[in-house]
Amino acid sequence: MNMAKNLAFKQETFRDDYTYSNSAEAIRRFPFPFAEDEYMYSVNIEQHNGGAPGSVFEHAIDVDEHYVAECADRALVLEDDPLRYIALPHMMDAQWDMVELVMDSLSTDYPEQFKLTKDGDNWHWINKPLGIDQKFVFGDESTLPMQPFEFVGRQVQGDWIILDQRDDDLFADMGIVTSQADWSMAFDAGMSFKEWHGPVPQANELGIFDRALKYLLHLQYGSPVRRLNWTMTVNPRLDTSPENYPLWGPDNVSVTPENVGDKVHLRVELQALFRLPRSNAIAFSVRGYLASVNELATYPRWAKRLRRVLTNLHPDLSEYKGLDFYRQMVIDHLAPMDDGTELELGTHPE
Amino acid sequence: MERGYWIRSKPLYDSLVWKQHATGHVVIAEGEGGIAVLKLFQQMCPREPIKLLFADDTSATKKYADIITKLVPEGLQVCESGEAVLAALREQLPDCLMGTQFYVAGSEAFIWAVIEELKVYGVQDRNVEKELSGTLARSVYCVHCKTTDKDVHHSIHQCSGCGRHLFVRDHFSRRLGAYMGVMVDAEEPGNIPAAEEIYP
Repeated sequence: MNMAKNLAFKQETFRDDYTYSNSAEAIRRFPFPFAEDEYMYSVNIEQHNGGAPGSVFEHAIDVDEHYVAECADRALVLEDDPLRYIALPHMMDAQWDMVELVMDSLSTDYPEQFKLTKDGDNWHWINKPLGIDQKFVFGDESTLPMQPFEFVGRQVQGDWIILDQRDDDLFADMGIVTSQADWSMAFDAGMSFKEWHGPVPQANELGIFDRALKYLLHLQYGSPVRRLNWTMTVNPRLDTSPENYPLWGPDNVSVTPENVGDKVHLRVELQALFRLPRSNAIAFSVRGYLASVNELATYPRWAKRLRRVLTNLHPDLSEYKGLDFYRQMVIDHLAPMDDGTELELGTHPE
Repeated sequence: MERGYWIRSKPLYDSLVWKQHATGHVVIAEGEGGIAVLKLFQQMCPREPIKLLFADDTSATKKYADIITKLVPEGLQVCESGEAVLAALREQLPDCLMGTQFYVAGSEAFIWAVIEELKVYGVQDRNVEKELSGTLARSVYCVHCKTTDKDVHHSIHQCSGCGRHLFVRDHFSRRLGAYMGVMVDAEEPGNIPAAEEIYP
């Protein structure tokens, strides 16, 4: 099935009444992250230059059935808290790099939905799903209704953090972050790579960040890379920020053995990194995919795998990811579906 | 959250030691940082010009300005307060040469207030010698209402901006000069652990 041609955008919410859900096709293409029965941090970086047709890896920037609803949720978050968008003053070249990356990718990969016409520096951008039609001069901030990076940042799914490279380090000097798993752009702005990852347990001990940083400093333009990361979230809430912890914190203790399958969601982050040509900065996109335990369990292989990974999870990681309160309930919920048969290596659903 | 793993965003502070290969030296200290200054001047002084900006903590019983005055014959400027030190620094920074080495001693809040001034001139914090002196008090940034409170001594702190009780995470922002404070009873409102003095 060609997603690009047949995209139907869902009307749904990621807050209050939580009407978010996945179609059968969306479950099928869910980036399930567990190839083995045990999980531990690793760098697990691979090339991000195309993937299987229909998969979330097919295009540089994946657009799926949740696109319109996610952009609407982002707008709500920004309205409440404008500091979810931050661009330090020296990042203007990177802002235009992002305009180019987003508009080139979307218009090339989803020509039915997005159209970009360039006449020298005079660009014309049409975003049909969001109803945006904008002519502007590339490089001239005054021709857009807001800062260039905010303009395109509001038209993509997932969070984007732009890392400035200097002194053999990467600094989070720009970002649009409205759907983060408990970290704060306003707090972390300006931090170096290692400071920013400071709170992650086990990974430092494994030397993960030293190796990842070395690798990223040499990232080449035109050769983006990706990795998967994951956590779990109660309710399909995108904005699980520390800022709004008072709003979603109570949800964590609302899980019961009866509602666990629908309430607890696996949250997989497709993290992609792109070198930007003008600024030499790195664009780091963190695209979250949410699926409830019951949605995933429509594939018996995933039900078994998820149960085993959670059973074997290191206690530090369980605590860091905030799973302690309900992890055992998920394991118990999936237990009847796990007959103990050996599963072959791989993340595929069937 | 705390299971004995080390958080890398937490700054490390060392003892002040003169650095070689500088065009000049600027020492900036406040209050108990006076001890760090005295220790520094017990070491063999570099040949390049030295400037020293210092203010006693007026509320503290122990004062250092008199001793420092006796020991440092040239380049010393004693100020009224930490604020006055920052103002003097701001005034003198434009005259500093490329290659000036900076040394800071005092409370954590003072150290990062100084670095904020230095940053304007492109000085990276990793190139500034820092000694934490006297108090472990923290500045805490409320992630909910964005207020920063200074001189926090307890594990649980009630935010002066929004009144929430905050758990102080060991996660430090150099840009804000503060640790992250996150509502402690968000999951179970009213369930607030007793505050203990852990940053005396």
